[in-house]
Amino acid sequence: MFNKIYKYLGSTRFTLLLISLLAVMFLAGLWIPQESLLNQQLSAQWEAKSPKVFAILRVLHFTTIYTSPIIIALWFLFFLNLSLVMWQRLPLIRRRIELPDPKRSDPENAPGFSFKKSYPLPAETSGSDVIGFLKKRGFAVSGDQQVFCAVRNRFAPIAFGLFHLSFFLILLGGLTSVYSKFYGVLELAQGEVFNGELERYKPLGMMPKIGSPPNVSFVIKSIRPEAKGNTPTALKVTLADGQGQLHNIDINRPYTTDSSTFVLKDVGPAPLFIVKDPTGKELDGAFVKLKVMNGSQDNFAMAGFDFHVHFYPDYAVNNGAAFSRTKEFNNPVFTVAVDRKQMPVGQGTLAPNGSLSFAGGYRLVIKEMPLWVRFSVIKEHGLPILYAGFAISSLALIWRLIFFRREIIGAVREQGGERRLLVAGKSEYYKSLAEDEFGELFDGMPEYLRQRPKADAG
Amino acid sequence: MSNWETIFFWITLIAYTLAAGGYIYAFVFKNPRFLPKMTWIISAGFITHNIAIGARYAAQGHLPWAGDYESAMMGGWFIIGGTLYVAWRNKALQSLAVVTAPLVVILMGYGFMRNPELTPMAASLKTYWLYIHVYFAQLAFGAYALAAAAGVLYLLKRRNAAQGAPNAAFERFPSLDRLDELIFRYIVFGFITDTIMIAAGAIWAKDLWGSYWSWDPVETWSLVSWLIYGISIHLRVTFGWREKRLAWLAIIALSTVIITFFGVNFVVDTSMHFFNVR
Ligand code: HEM
Repeated sequence: MFNKIYKYLGSTRFTLLLISLLAVMFLAGLWIPQESLLNQQLSAQWEAKSPKVFAILRVLHFTTIYTSPIIIALWFLFFLNLSLVMWQRLPLIRRRIELPDPKRSDPENAPGFSFKKSYPLPAETSGSDVIGFLKKRGFAVSGDQQVFCAVRNRFAPIAFGLFHLSFFLILLGGLTSVYSKFYGVLELAQGEVFNGELERYKPLGMMPKIGSPPNVSFVIKSIRPEAKGNTPTALKVTLADGQGQLHNIDINRPYTTDSSTFVLKDVGPAPLFIVKDPTGKELDGAFVKLKVMNGSQDNFAMAGFDFHVHFYPDYAVNNGAAFSRTKEFNNPVFTVAVDRKQMPVGQGTLAPNGSLSFAGGYRLVIKEMPLWVRFSVIKEHGLPILYAGFAISSLALIWRLIFFRREIIGAVREQGGERRLLVAGKSEYYKSLAEDEFGELFDGMPEYLRQRPKADAG
Repeated sequence: MSNWETIFFWITLIAYTLAAGGYIYAFVFKNPRFLPKMTWIISAGFITHNIAIGARYAAQGHLPWAGDYESAMMGGWFIIGGTLYVAWRNKALQSLAVVTAPLVVILMGYGFMRNPELTPMAASLKTYWLYIHVYFAQLAFGAYALAAAAGVLYLLKRRNAAQGAPNAAFERFPSLDRLDELIFRYIVFGFITDTIMIAAGAIWAKDLWGSYWSWDPVETWSLVSWLIYGISIHLRVTFGWREKRLAWLAIIALSTVIITFFGVNFVVDTSMHFFNVR
């Protein structure tokens, strides 16, 4: 019984079952809404609509399917199965890379060799010329000019192990990154200094189970979004680190330090708003990081008033309606509606360095308009291991599947008063295509043999 | 679209459509003499296809790779390019175009109906990893399409051979044994480029989103289709699946690739992956 289970765990039949089950689970994750992709509100709506289904899915952890116990169990079995199969395959790989023994080879009676043919050998050429020809074509040759074996890409079977081993590297890198992961969102305006304070991450999404949060300090020197028409084409940000060294970052070019990546996610205006009373006295003032890009409304309260703001980076009016011609910051204008105790007391447009009057003489002024950016901050270890896994898997696949092993047995014999070269060839994976390949190879031999003596003479 | 691009895009599409029609004619009316001429038409279409891409490059300042239209344009380029390349190496493989030409016509027609307008390069697309990611995806797509095409030819030829009065057009195909091995060869090539595509995508995602893998629907689909091709290779190498079963596998597996490229938007609507600039 135990033996049977052990055998099954180490079988490639089980491999296929596991890979198929993993694929099915991944697909299920596309059908079943995942919490990681669904926002809270949608999630709650969905739960209210079908509470029973939701409860069952919750119990099975299918709303976070990619980290559910079932998937983790499948991954565990996957790596167990992989280890067992690889272990069992070791002797086979060793046998496959052995050089064949020419003494025991006979091209006429070689089992498993799909290509068998004989060619007349021109006068003044010998088996060693043929060997020279094969060597030139990348074959390693053993034997003598009477009987020889030639192998190309002898070590390719090792690459099978290398490819599957790379999964372990990817696993190791992945696990290291999961357990060392820190995640937080950080919003900083131009001129703002950050010294790694945890309370400034909003939200602070994840603390590492192993290791520490990012130990960084820097100040944002400048923020310059660029757009062409309606396509954002760059977000150029310069920051100065603790040593005063400048770093230029952009979308796709995050700031990386202390195994942490600061990825630019969003940009917006952070105006210095000031509220003045009818006599011109400043009542209140603050920089406000507004989330108003892409047309959304943001709100803030100041001096007892509530302000509702829209932003148009390239302001224009069409039939009385405000709109932004492009995403370029050509003519930045806010439209503002003001309430006091939920009663509207004014509205209008407001540009940087401009002012808006409301509630009988009060004024809202923009004194400066720096920008702010949002960073996703991720610290994790293990990426080099993971990337090494990617690189090895790609290289091993190329090695295994393109530079696969070819083997030829050749013998020079007298047949019917004529000296002939008898050859047998086989390759991994292919039979008919290998026949074509060997056919082409030997069709090119007479040309080589003809030229060879000339080359020698020259 | 610039004027030149529009003109050459249409010439290309017309050439491919003519060739696809010619192939169907050759088979329905059992007239194989027609086939080599179609290869010339496809080659001419491929030249204008290159010009259309060049015109788009000139107007836009970067190679096409984003949005359904550009994906279709480049996907079509890789599929036809692959078809012509193998046909040039081996005449008998000209007939793969029987399947790939109509596939590309549908693809490019669909792409044109989506979003052919010119767009500047979005900030999120400015990285070398994306070049590797996108073009290896296209290479994989092209190779998988050739595998499926070889699968269709295999099934057709086999059925034809079993019939009383065989259609001479099938004589032009490679032998059944060779078709069977070609299916595997193309799958293998696609699988290698698919692997590089996923790795490059993960590295790019780390820089753009901060996380190398997010179980985003597009990522998940491409992982699933990669696994399906992995399963196919296992079935072939360790379980000796070949012939009819392998042919069907190559055809069915292609559907997962098509979903990854074009269909994910129809299946789910919560992707943070954008083939469409946003
Ligand atoms: C538990 C997991 C796995 C096991 C035990 C396993 C085992 C094997 C075995 C025994 C072979 C045959 C090698 C030979 O005869 O030369 C093989 C080949 C192959 N496997 Fe896997 N495999 C696993 C997972 C995967 C996965 C996930 C993929 C990719 C999707 C994959 C892709 C391949 C490829 C491309 C080959 C052909 C290369 C060759 O012939 O060496 N394998 N695998």
